[in-house]
Amino acid sequence: MRNSIAKNRQSIAQPVRSHRPMYQIVLYMGLLLLLGLIVMYALGPQRANVMNYAYGTNYSDTYFFGKQLTSVFIAIVAFSAFYFTPYKWFIGERSKYILYAGFALCILLFLSGAVLHLSFAQETNGAYRWFQLGVLGSFQPSELLKYGVLLFLAGFLGRRSQQGKLNDIQETIIPLGIISGLSLLMIVFLQKDLGTGISLIAIILSMILVAGIDWKIFKKILAIVALCGLVMIFTSPHRIERVMTFVQGDSHKGNSSQENKNYHIQQARIAIGSGGLLGLGIGKSVQATGYLPEATNDSIFAVMGETFGFVGLMAILALFTALLLSILHVAARLPNVTLRLIVAGIFGWIASHVILNIAAMTGLAPLTGIPLPLLSYGGTSMLFIAAALGLVFQISKYTSHKALEEGESGQDLSGWRRLRRTRYASGSRI
Amino acid sequence: MQRLIRSRTGWLAIALLVVMAAFVLRLFQLQILQYGKYTELARASQQRQFIIPAERGKIYMMDGKTPVPVVLNQAVYTVIADPQSIDDKERSQLVDSLREIAGGEMTENVSERLNNKKSRYEVLAKNITRTQAEKLKKKNFAGVLYQQSSIRNYPEGELGAHVLGFVNAAGEGQYGVEGSLNKQLKGRDGLLQSVTDVRNIPLTVGKNNMRIEAKSGDNLALTVDRNIQNQTELALKKGIEAAGATEGSVIVMNPKNGQVLGNGELSDLQSGGFCQAENGSVFVDSASMVPFEPGSIIKSFSFATAIDKGVITPSSTYNNTDCIKVADRTMCNALRGLDGTMTIQGAFNNSLNVGTITAIRKLGNGSQINLPARQTLYEYYHDKFGFGAKTGIELGEASGYIYPPDSAEGNEVRYSAMTYGQSMNLTMVQVAAGFSSLVNGGQYYKPTVLVGTIDESGNLKSSENKVIRQTVSGGTSSQMRTMLTTARRSSFLSKSDKSGYEIGGKTGTSEAVVNGAYTQKGNDCYIYWLWRWKKWCRICHNGTCSGSRKRD
Repeated sequence: MRNSIAKNRQSIAQPVRSHRPMYQIVLYMGLLLLLGLIVMYALGPQRANVMNYAYGTNYSDTYFFGKQLTSVFIAIVAFSAFYFTPYKWFIGERSKYILYAGFALCILLFLSGAVLHLSFAQETNGAYRWFQLGVLGSFQPSELLKYGVLLFLAGFLGRRSQQGKLNDIQETIIPLGIISGLSLLMIVFLQKDLGTGISLIAIILSMILVAGIDWKIFKKILAIVALCGLVMIFTSPHRIERVMTFVQGDSHKGNSSQENKNYHIQQARIAIGSGGLLGLGIGKSVQATGYLPEATNDSIFAVMGETFGFVGLMAILALFTALLLSILHVAARLPNVTLRLIVAGIFGWIASHVILNIAAMTGLAPLTGIPLPLLSYGGTSMLFIAAALGLVFQISKYTSHKALEEGESGQDLSGWRRLRRTRYASGSRI
Repeated sequence: MQRLIRSRTGWLAIALLVVMAAFVLRLFQLQILQYGKYTELARASQQRQFIIPAERGKIYMMDGKTPVPVVLNQAVYTVIADPQSIDDKERSQLVDSLREIAGGEMTENVSERLNNKKSRYEVLAKNITRTQAEKLKKKNFAGVLYQQSSIRNYPEGELGAHVLGFVNAAGEGQYGVEGSLNKQLKGRDGLLQSVTDVRNIPLTVGKNNMRIEAKSGDNLALTVDRNIQNQTELALKKGIEAAGATEGSVIVMNPKNGQVLGNGELSDLQSGGFCQAENGSVFVDSASMVPFEPGSIIKSFSFATAIDKGVITPSSTYNNTDCIKVADRTMCNALRGLDGTMTIQGAFNNSLNVGTITAIRKLGNGSQINLPARQTLYEYYHDKFGFGAKTGIELGEASGYIYPPDSAEGNEVRYSAMTYGQSMNLTMVQVAAGFSSLVNGGQYYKPTVLVGTIDESGNLKSSENKVIRQTVSGGTSSQMRTMLTTARRSSFLSKSDKSGYEIGGKTGTSEAVVNGAYTQKGNDCYIYWLWRWKKWCRICHNGTCSGSRKRD
């Protein structure tokens, strides 16, 4: 894993010498990807069957497994690329360009879809969220924008933090608000994608929280976010619907799109509930044969509940918790503020996806249409999450050996003693 | 500052753990505590019960000794569309393909139906053949389903249609053999209980799946011979046209075992074909379902009764007059001017009513058909020949009626008329079955249209038709055959008889009530048998008499 060239370059640039990365991240991610593949292998034939019937397509039994395998392969490539590409490449000036590219692509998508009606802009429920790129698959520019916001704000807040101006309204909070507001506008209003919007908010909030912003300001920001959330919900009929569906539960009857949501929630609950303690077993899911919408994508958690039961879901929750705690563990030990904020942002990103998806499937939150990281079928989500984890994996080489205390430089001097490996605290403290 | 970081990531970690703990509790609630509820919900929405339709039995007629199918099952398909799932681009293409492949079977307004996006179930075409369905399936239209069902197919067209009956849309047999043997033909439907996918297609997964196989209906072989049936229908048609009659029936029975070999039925109602029939009465098998007043053919039975009782012989004589006084009435012969000494055979040849009355009076005190005479005649007619009671033939059947001797209606006048076939209502099947016993040595067989069943591999499993009872003695039967052949030879009909056949017969005409008055033109009947071929035939149709020959 150690790349001597990268090591040399980084050892010059950083006060902390690189050491062994946190392998647990690869382990948890690998297990989750493997689980996703197994489930897709079992579900693929049924899924192909349902799709072929509904859309007259001609998918073979192994089509979905093959696609998932390809996605996993691409995800591993992305993970490796982000692991081996020095993080310096992503921060500083370049993060600005990534952000601009994200904005530009979002606008381009909106224009080509809603204004010019070009065929590669794919419409879903009256909004344009994907570029349809034929053989290459589909691409969701909001993912790039999310990345841009994350990297740019990490650098920006890192600088302000070092300048001691983190709590400065003029210098920090207002620019932060503008960037966040603009990107949320793109995602929530132009693409009508509340799910991605919420995960973007989670990214930003995690970053400013970890950056050490004053609690008072943080509470005010939370209040503004909550207010904006309410405004967004009540200005959009389809969001009111979703909330109504959630609040009124099974008994609520409304128009057909709401009934569909209601149906989705009910079927997800049936899938999870009927799994019982040990589940029906691999390949024996009935709900995935067409009862449960989005069985391989957004609803994969419910299908896994039916397949693997309570025990299986506990294992999945444990894997996600372990993965997220590992990320936090890395964040807590990074002396470099920008890197720390990147890792915190990625934590917010993945955590929000996991939580929103599982909460929706178990009926604890309204449906937001967010896939479950690493398990759901779907290339874009998996690609970007794997890339983010690759970055965390790379950054995990630059932690100090224990959580930083006041006054410590974080400099790891163990290398000076020509020890082959850096010892680092493993999971005992965060 | 650094402590702050630690506390902030710690704070996030705690928040994460709290949320995860909430998930654990929620999942515990859903999967452990409410497992039963959700399993039940899943079962209710996923499990379906399907009827596995039993294949209806085929029906065969005989061709000599070989059974040949006359009613088969044909798989047909109903084309159903879900307008919501149909690709907009394919819509017009689908309509074009339907028109091209199954234009005749399309339902009305297919294009409009397809555009009705509120609907999820529209029938596009009905009863298309397998070939048509295969062609359509190859085009792979999304949201189009093919539902298989089965209809009856008649390779012999309308041959014997009223004997066969039909199957209605609900799958129940109506009229004919389809109706009377519906239960046997239908078999028993099977049941499939299974977890299904959302399209109701059964899955192999699931715990409570079960399958009870359907039991196909029996394949029935009819006694009816398709050649005789065809000839019967042709001859009947010719006879009716020649006589200008409105309807007629023929029944051909093998007197040696009571099997019906042909059963012709014709009325002007059916000229447009059975499929177009607007009136269900075209399916009525008059031979078994419509009682009629048989007329002089019954003289065979009254003379047989008297001979069997030993009160007369064919050569006994009596003094014939044109009319005879019965109680307060006078009954006369149709053929007048034959006063004087007359043999019983002569009375039979000339169909003299006075002759039968005289003969039956001998069962009593000689001058009256008194109660003992009536009781004897009733015993023969009803108990032995089976008149006025259902025969048990496997077709829709009426019982007809004859008045018992001790009833007020069963007086001397009525019984005198009954000696020459009037004042009684019988079905052709009853008369035919009784007549068979007169010529076959006195053995009464249950009339039947059923030979047996045909198994999967096409082997005929025939069931023997047993003698039910003895009607008259063998000697009486032999004397009756002589009387009948003699009568036949004296008749103008014998001119067309082929040599080498022993043919005997008796004509019959009765008065029928038409517009409230007795007219001479009632039911005209003729009853005869061909001995060499051991086939017995009787023709009766309203309006006139007709001969029928078997040329096989």
